[in-house]
Amino acid sequence: MSEAYFPVGPGLGLEENFLSLDDILMSQEKLPGRAESTLPRLAFALGQGAGTGDSIPEGSKLEIPLWLAKGLHDSKRRIVSVELPKIYKEAWRTVFSADANVVDLHKMGPYYYGFGSQLLNFDNPENPEIAQTILQTFISRFRRIMDSSQNAYNEDTSALVARLDELERALFRAGQRGLNDFQCWEKGQASQITASSLVQNYGKRKFTDTDG
Amino acid sequence: LFQGDLGPFNPGLPVEVPVWLAINLKQRQKCRLIPPEWMDVEKLEEIRDQERKEDTFTPMPSPYYMELTKLLLNYASDNIPKADEIRTLVKDTWDTRIAKLRLSADSFVRRQEAHAKLDNLTLMEINTTGTFLTQALDHMYKLRTNLQPGEGAHSQDF
Repeated sequence: MSEAYFPVGPGLGLEENFLSLDDILMSQEKLPGRAESTLPRLAFALGQGAGTGDSIPEGSKLEIPLWLAKGLHDSKRRIVSVELPKIYKEAWRTVFSADANVVDLHKMGPYYYGFGSQLLNFDNPENPEIAQTILQTFISRFRRIMDSSQNAYNEDTSALVARLDELERALFRAGQRGLNDFQCWEKGQASQITASSLVQNYGKRKFTDTDG
Repeated sequence: LFQGDLGPFNPGLPVEVPVWLAINLKQRQKCRLIPPEWMDVEKLEEIRDQERKEDTFTPMPSPYYMELTKLLLNYASDNIPKADEIRTLVKDTWDTRIAKLRLSADSFVRRQEAHAKLDNLTLMEINTTGTFLTQALDHMYKLRTNLQPGEGAHSQDF
């Protein structure tokens, strides 16, 4: 019933966790931006232009992954400047504040909270509002995640998690684990000894004779 | 290891023993269990009704009421009068308490309070929602520190 190992969770602040798989996947999400100066011979690497010799002219629009944007963005903004993806902009922010429960956060980028927290790294006058919106969205969706995760026992939960982003899905799984553990206890399975998941994998490999 | 003396055991006379010993003796058919005095239909109905009426948690007759109910009803239901009703009553009370706990967790999160005090909760209830709640509060805390980019920010201006 307890985990054989604990995966490293996402950093979820201004800093990412280096070892977290969630953070690595999240920082691959793309961000719209603009090249501030000519980028020689990088057109191929950034997905525009066919030949390896092409360069990206100044001012052209790019879609770059977050990790690249963070690396290329410095305070003088000479190389790239980033724009907010539309779900963090004013229009969507009002949708979130009206009713956050109806939004399909998985479709909007499965790492809404993590990515949003990373966006605060770039200087942007709207940052306080973005941070506030992310927090308020989390708070309003909390109740529904709690109720659905603690009441769905042994059911197919794919319909329930379809509209949650990755952070919420992890929370959902934690709630389900609590529920399953309780039901297990209630049925009396808690006092039965079961093989650990690590050891069950050992049985699939045959031990070959070591001595000849 | 536990150590101690128990007894004397005379046939026909009630004796107090730890629950684990009682269950063991009962499984070996050497004794008859007497239910605790709160495990009675009227008492449990009172507790259940009070739980439903109040917004706060009622003090439960034993901090282990869930565990005791489960053990006694599983191993010694023949010694407990109206065992099924008791099971239903305890389950109803449990459901009401868990619902109150969730309501209070939700309002705690909504108002972003830093501190909450809940009286008369038993460990079993805390453990059921505990992991979920602490993880959610962790996330909330990190999202809140985003709002103040004060000391956390690392800006390098040359």
